[in-house]
Amino acid sequence: MSQTAFPMCPCGSGLRAARCCSMNAAAMPPADSSRHLIPLVERAVTAHRQGAIETAERLCLDVLELAPDRPGALTVLYQIRRDQGNHAAAEALIRRVVTLDPNNFAATNEYALLLLGKGAIHEAEVQARNAVRIAPQNPQAHNLMGMITTEAQRPLVGEYHYRKVLELSGGRDPILLANLAWNLKNQGRMEEGRALYQESAAAAPDIRQTMLGWARLEEADRKFDAAAAILDGMAEKWPNDPGQLLSRAVLLGRTKKTDEALTTLDEIAKLTEGRLGANELAEKGRLLDQMGRYDAAFEAFAEGKRIARELSGHAYLDGQADNIIQRLGGFFTAGRLGTLPRATVRTDVAQPIFVLGFPRSGTTLMEQTLSAHPKIVAGDELPLINDLTGLMPRMLNSPLGYPEALAELWMGDQREGLDNLRDYYLQKVGQMGILTPEAAWFTDKMPLNETHLGLIALLFPEAPLIHVIRHPLDIMVSAVSNHFTHGFFCASALETAALHYVRVMDLVQKYRSEMALRYLPVRYEDMVTDQESTVRLVLDFVGETFDPGCLQFHENQRYARTASYAQVTEPLYASSRFRYKNYRRHLEPVIPILQGHIERLGYAVD
Amino acid sequence: MATLSISPMDPLLQAPTTTSGLTAPDGRTLQRSGDIMVPVPLAELFTVAAQYERSGKMAEADRLLNYILAVAPDQPDTLHMSGIVAFRLGRQDEALAKMERAIDRGVDIALYLRNICEVYRTLNRLDDAVIAAKRAAALAPSDPLCLHNLSVIHYERVEPDEAIAAADRALMMSPGMAGAHFARAEALLLTGDWENGWEEYEWRFRIADAARLMPPTDKPQWDGQPFDDGTLLLVADQGFGDVIQFSRYIPLVLERCPDAIIACSSEMVPVLRQFLPEDKIFYRWETCPPFKAFAALSGLPRLFGTRVDHMHAPIPYLHADPGRVATWKERLRRLAPGSHKRVGIVWAGRPTHNNDRRRSSKLADFAPLAALPGIALVSLQKGPSADQAGRYFGRAPLINIGAEVRDYTDTMALLECLDLVITVDTSVGHLAAAMGKPVWILLATSPDWRWLLDRSDTPWYPTVRLFRQTVARQWSDVFTRVAAALAEMSGPPTPTAGEAD
Repeated sequence: MSQTAFPMCPCGSGLRAARCCSMNAAAMPPADSSRHLIPLVERAVTAHRQGAIETAERLCLDVLELAPDRPGALTVLYQIRRDQGNHAAAEALIRRVVTLDPNNFAATNEYALLLLGKGAIHEAEVQARNAVRIAPQNPQAHNLMGMITTEAQRPLVGEYHYRKVLELSGGRDPILLANLAWNLKNQGRMEEGRALYQESAAAAPDIRQTMLGWARLEEADRKFDAAAAILDGMAEKWPNDPGQLLSRAVLLGRTKKTDEALTTLDEIAKLTEGRLGANELAEKGRLLDQMGRYDAAFEAFAEGKRIARELSGHAYLDGQADNIIQRLGGFFTAGRLGTLPRATVRTDVAQPIFVLGFPRSGTTLMEQTLSAHPKIVAGDELPLINDLTGLMPRMLNSPLGYPEALAELWMGDQREGLDNLRDYYLQKVGQMGILTPEAAWFTDKMPLNETHLGLIALLFPEAPLIHVIRHPLDIMVSAVSNHFTHGFFCASALETAALHYVRVMDLVQKYRSEMALRYLPVRYEDMVTDQESTVRLVLDFVGETFDPGCLQFHENQRYARTASYAQVTEPLYASSRFRYKNYRRHLEPVIPILQGHIERLGYAVD
Repeated sequence: MATLSISPMDPLLQAPTTTSGLTAPDGRTLQRSGDIMVPVPLAELFTVAAQYERSGKMAEADRLLNYILAVAPDQPDTLHMSGIVAFRLGRQDEALAKMERAIDRGVDIALYLRNICEVYRTLNRLDDAVIAAKRAAALAPSDPLCLHNLSVIHYERVEPDEAIAAADRALMMSPGMAGAHFARAEALLLTGDWENGWEEYEWRFRIADAARLMPPTDKPQWDGQPFDDGTLLLVADQGFGDVIQFSRYIPLVLERCPDAIIACSSEMVPVLRQFLPEDKIFYRWETCPPFKAFAALSGLPRLFGTRVDHMHAPIPYLHADPGRVATWKERLRRLAPGSHKRVGIVWAGRPTHNNDRRRSSKLADFAPLAALPGIALVSLQKGPSADQAGRYFGRAPLINIGAEVRDYTDTMALLECLDLVITVDTSVGHLAAAMGKPVWILLATSPDWRWLLDRSDTPWYPTVRLFRQTVARQWSDVFTRVAAALAEMSGPPTPTAGEAD
């Protein structure tokens, strides 16, 4: 048979496309008709177990050519492709196993882990939830949920599942303890996390991830000596471990020992034949930046971005971003808004303050400042508005997507649809455990929530919308020197970060001209240079009295999880203003893209 | 009034329809290689272009004229005509350059000068405008249109006496020239000579391209005498601000003619139903019942003998609906910080208004106000300029409530919830003033006649404070003064420290 007539599947499984990703499920013979192949499958399993990979592979391909839906053969072939590092084929195969047999726990577990490993958290969560449904008493099912929801920045849910694992397993597995410790660190519960790390390390002292996580906890808790001691211990056991070296470089950088930090990074480079990873390069860039070596710093940042793009395959989802932003701008018009209801305002629970802004524009600083107020607690980056945009069609029973699904609000049976969406949000916030009895407000500082300003104003018509504004070129410098995935992966390159910035700011402008919003733009630069009157202005706008504690926000014990944490635990420093001047030449390509907004915001390019 | 607008019929800016100099411009032959080229009949092209221009097909005229200019770049009539077309297409700098070149060709043609002065006026080059207008008048001493243009320019330069003199000269030559009468009326009214001004103002309906007051009728215009044997039709003419301002006379009309009805645009119903039951208000001519006589609302000040020192001002004569006030009070409570003074703002008028260039500002001009502490700006702006709210990043919160305002009932209710309104010369200013609310109205150097000259108050409305431009079309110093007055009114700024210990 010729290749052209029967092309091989592009996923790389080794099967023909018609027997793999292009398979027509409806045309498959009934599973029972291939029962005579079962001995072959059994031989494949045995061969694979004995290390006869080629034999196992040949047998699997033969079986699957005849019966492409034999789960046993698919599973063995999946394991072979996974071990070969053929991710696309492995994913396709394990997905097929799960689709054919949704109640296969082992496959579901594998698939969830694979998705988590490649950063597809949302899809991974779907599988993890299914795993819990299949095996509600299986510790591993809960472990999956624990890992995934911790990664998805819902640490309270994660904590619940980790504790369920402890309960179900009846033991105290050291890795589980370390995972739970990491979860608690993400909640800012440093003492509890530390105790668990100690217990985990005592039981299993030779697990690198445990020690690295513990060191990170100490560093985040500003216990730099403790962090250094852990890393020293690691260095004795694993002198050339890149993770250990990177953590040490970060720690040295934070304690202003930039030269030593750079030397440490150089050691990593030597170990890896001169090739640093994306995280190492970003750290190197930040260190060089601190030293005033801006050209070299930018070079490191740019190279880090390039490697990150290469490894993750994440580039800006230009078409998707453009599509949703166009649709949002087209939907939220004054005329249409006049016909839509608004959610009522709940008075029995704390209400959100939305801290809006592009990633790295100062939203963490704003949240830390506000949450130093006795009536305001920090909610951090709540994924809930984004979740709601996905859930909306189902919750409103609409055949359309977001935002068009809001048209259901015109139907007699959906007049209160917004109240339901609002309650979903508030209920999830309640479950996260961020609210305290005194709290009248909580902050939601998910960056780029301003993309959904229209929806937010329908759900929470009274909620203060604090939009943190910063010199767009400074935001670009931060976007280059940090990795973040918000905004359709726009920060994978400088130009796309600028493009997405413009799209979102244009959309905000549209919302603001079509709607009466409780919206206050606040300049990051004012927070730095004119802190007190800016804080007064914001609190006044929120409707709370001034509290001097807000000026000492760096004494706020709360640990901010995001990339800004190292900055917000230090007093305000003016060097963060107009950093772009150091990178004027490197930013040249995006100045024309941003020029209009720079002027509109009242900034200049010097 | 609409006479100042640029339309194909506008006497202020007129294009000739033929030219004599085109067959061989500059003595050159157009058949440069006659054996090959088909000769281009430029004179005919010009005639066609002129026809396009007259019938409003500017893009076609533009294309043809530019074609002629490619062949005959210095032909004055074509340059001039092309300038007019560019002007109508909004390319004002190009218009001016072309018309200046036409004049520079050394031909002192009054028509060119008469037209260029209108372009100068549009571009706010009032010195050049007045020089050109005077030269045009000198070149064509018997052309009243030149003097009419001169009168309009003097008005804009806030030289009402000169404006009246120029109009007088035009009227000596052409006593029935409605435009000149109207120019004279506006100047007289501006100076406070309302006795003579109202009479001249009556000419406004006779201006050739003025909007028609109503469908043709054989019924007489009301002379102000009482009658009770028929219906008086009032016509709510001119802009919304005028209707709001002159609606104050309706109760006086009803004393003389109990059976009065009013024709208006539907937007004005919320205002007019405060004087008349809704079944007396009509916003479609087809449904209007027969009447015995008619009167324009804008003619009532004349009929009731209004003078600067003899003013009918029963303020407040408009009232907000209490139910709507409650709704908006609640809405504003949600949107604006309660501790802030709420200042309603409007930065631009309706862009189709012929004075809009002069009277409208930009939201960005409000920057000195936005820098004040304790102020929340509440935008009442409607129309195409409202989108500037989206580009505002000042320090004071801006609540774009205009996006939710549906009608004047909403606007009135909102005005009831504000501490102050600051607006350019728009209907919202009239509305707030008629409700007896504090309003600061910001005026161009050459304001609408109703605001008179050199005073910060107005006999029309006791709660209005006027802020006037000192330099034409420059708002910066006006807003500086407004901000200072606002800061003074709000008292000393809140201390920034004190709660700390």
